[in-house]
Amino acid sequence: MSTTDFGVTGLTCNHCVMTVSRAAALVPGVTGVSIDLVANGQSTLHVESDSAVDAVALEQAIDAAGYELVH
Amino acid sequence: MATTHVDLALEGMTCATCAGRIEGALATVPGVTATVNFATERASVDVDGETDSSALISAVVKVGYGARVIDRDVRDTEPPVDPVLTARVALSLVLTVPVLLVSMIPALQFDGYQWVAAALATPVVSWAAWPFHRAAIRNARHGATTMDTLVSLGVIVAYAWSVYALLFTMAGTIGMRMEMPIFGYAPDALYFESAAAVTAFVLLGRWLEARSKRSAKQSLTALLNTAAQQAILLVDGREVSVPAGAIHTGDQFVVLPGAIVPTDGRIIDGQSAIDASAVTGESVPVTVGVGSPLIGGTVNAGGRLVVEATAVGSATQLARLTRMVEEAQAGKAPVQKLVDRISAVFVPLVIVLAVVGGVAWFALTADATRAVSIAVATLVVACPCALGLATPMALLVGSGRGARSGIIIRGTDVLESTRRVTTIIVDKTGTLTSGQPTVAGVAGDGMSDDRVVADLASVEMGTNHPLARAVVANATSRGVMGEVARDVTVEPGRGVSGIVGSTTVRAGSLDWFTETSTTIPTGLADTAKDWASAGMSIVALAHGDRVVGLVAVRDVTKPSAVEAVKALSALGIHTIMASGDSPEVVARVAEETEIDEAYGSMSPADKRDLVVRLQRQGEVVAMVGDGINDAAALAQADLGIAMGHGTDVAIETSDIVLVSMDLRRVADSIRLSRATLGTIRGNLVWAFGYNALAIPIALAGIMGPAVAGLAMALSSVFVVLNSARLTRFRMS
Repeated sequence: MSTTDFGVTGLTCNHCVMTVSRAAALVPGVTGVSIDLVANGQSTLHVESDSAVDAVALEQAIDAAGYELVH
Repeated sequence: MATTHVDLALEGMTCATCAGRIEGALATVPGVTATVNFATERASVDVDGETDSSALISAVVKVGYGARVIDRDVRDTEPPVDPVLTARVALSLVLTVPVLLVSMIPALQFDGYQWVAAALATPVVSWAAWPFHRAAIRNARHGATTMDTLVSLGVIVAYAWSVYALLFTMAGTIGMRMEMPIFGYAPDALYFESAAAVTAFVLLGRWLEARSKRSAKQSLTALLNTAAQQAILLVDGREVSVPAGAIHTGDQFVVLPGAIVPTDGRIIDGQSAIDASAVTGESVPVTVGVGSPLIGGTVNAGGRLVVEATAVGSATQLARLTRMVEEAQAGKAPVQKLVDRISAVFVPLVIVLAVVGGVAWFALTADATRAVSIAVATLVVACPCALGLATPMALLVGSGRGARSGIIIRGTDVLESTRRVTTIIVDKTGTLTSGQPTVAGVAGDGMSDDRVVADLASVEMGTNHPLARAVVANATSRGVMGEVARDVTVEPGRGVSGIVGSTTVRAGSLDWFTETSTTIPTGLADTAKDWASAGMSIVALAHGDRVVGLVAVRDVTKPSAVEAVKALSALGIHTIMASGDSPEVVARVAEETEIDEAYGSMSPADKRDLVVRLQRQGEVVAMVGDGINDAAALAQADLGIAMGHGTDVAIETSDIVLVSMDLRRVADSIRLSRATLGTIRGNLVWAFGYNALAIPIALAGIMGPAVAGLAMALSSVFVVLNSARLTRFRMS
């Protein structure tokens, strides 16, 4: 069980939080998702997983949802 | 283009017209559609495309109101009372007391005291009294006069005249003492104490009122917060914890024991009991199993459930109820305050009298100073100090008396509504009945009553269903508790089965036995039909594939309910019952309580519609309820009364809260409200009365400064004493 934090940009409101949460939740291996929203800035995405999360799959999922993962 | 949703908290709205103005202002911003709720002081705004929320705020500010963005995820904690108002009250009290003392007690007057009084009164009449001046100007634009106009005018005239007197008459001379003759022409009278005291007293009244009303605004936030914040989403059999809003219709999610159901759904795996008390106010958990629908916001009191989402976001029942409450509150016309209604007549009359008096004196004596001083004296003496205390004092004492008996009255508007109530609607559950069903009849087919009850109790012992508990309680009181059945299984919504000795014993609804082709002897079937039509619930007992006994269970009408209905009728109020229960059960309770009208199978929307229909017929409707399902009707009703352990939302949307479940308190609360309103009217009559009596003296040109002081003191003392009488109000 580990938690990894990622920066995400493009989020403006609670609706975005839900969209990104869902996208991240669907990535294999993820067991928990929460987001600290910074509207119009860089929000923090906390991802819990049993083993290290697949960062590439996560980035693709966030991108497909219309937001951007910060490296 | 993406649509975003913004909620704004609005400030400065005084009437429904303001709401319309703000709506219009927001609509001028490109891509914006907005609705403004006057009652909750909120604007709900949908923005198409790239519009910054600051553009919305500036649009609102431009038409003269205040706005700020509300973050829906954060509980909107309003400060207890506007801190600026608190500061104004504190400052005016601190400065007014010395002014009063030094002006009214000649022994305390020192050289130059009048200049000190002027200095102390200045911040009071300017900064502290600013809300009155601002409102008076706003009213003047519409040609209206309210209590604010009276206060503002009285304060300004008293202060301006006193400053003039200080600068241009003998009054400003150092060493001058104010004499206190009751009658006699005093061209150099100073009214600094009147100006300051009126401001301080009326502000204090406002502050007391604001404090008692503050929580009303948080009702809708409370409703939204009933929903769970977190949920466990099932993705290919994997559990992922996500924010509740991430669930879509058709998703599967897990609800752990003790967790809040995150959204509406249907159970696809697991069995449990659901505690819906947060939503419906019903205290008894309901048994659920595969196929049972779940409402978001209820609590899983039993086992782990896997649920498929059937509705999310604004489509959930909770969201629909929220909207209904919002609409109902928005449609509720604010009651015009009694003081304002009196002021609307009193103020113009006083102004006319002052002007006519001044002109008449000038015509008679050609003495301009004298004419103006008489007009001023008239205006000053007419402005009653006790006006500010008349309402809050009575309310404070009345609500204090109510609180001691578990009646919480929220605000003055409520009192006005209770005066006019013609019809009262009560929800049956928990208000008219005990909420604890008991066994009312037993029938066996070749079996003793004791045996029927004993066998039912054996299988039902472990279940938490209210009907089962009634049967077990009956078995205990008969002393026939038998062995506990083996291999007990629960069929949600149908019944239980188990093995007693070597027999398969089932307990459940007759429908279940009909479905499973169990033989029902005609004798028992006839008895069941009679009982059902008498409004009783039936638990049937089967041995193997044959029904062998029946038990009738009913919710007992409270003895106090009959008295309560009588008491309400005695107040001339038409009584109606509106319940979600079956029409037969409702009809029985209606008959036992002698209630005037009764409706069964009522949904939350039906209840609200009933209120609306009655209101259209000209009835003034009070609604008694306890759950979120009653919240819309409570808010729609002219007077909402929440009972007992009611849900937060029911309490927040109601006008009166009753701590006990005793319906007699409803009649008491209406009587107490009416008594409080009567006291307020008495207070106002005397507050205005004593000062009005002084008007002829002022017009006659013989008003000594003592008269203004005397009128102020007498009316204030009367208001306090008259309000204190409410402590002796008797409950039934």
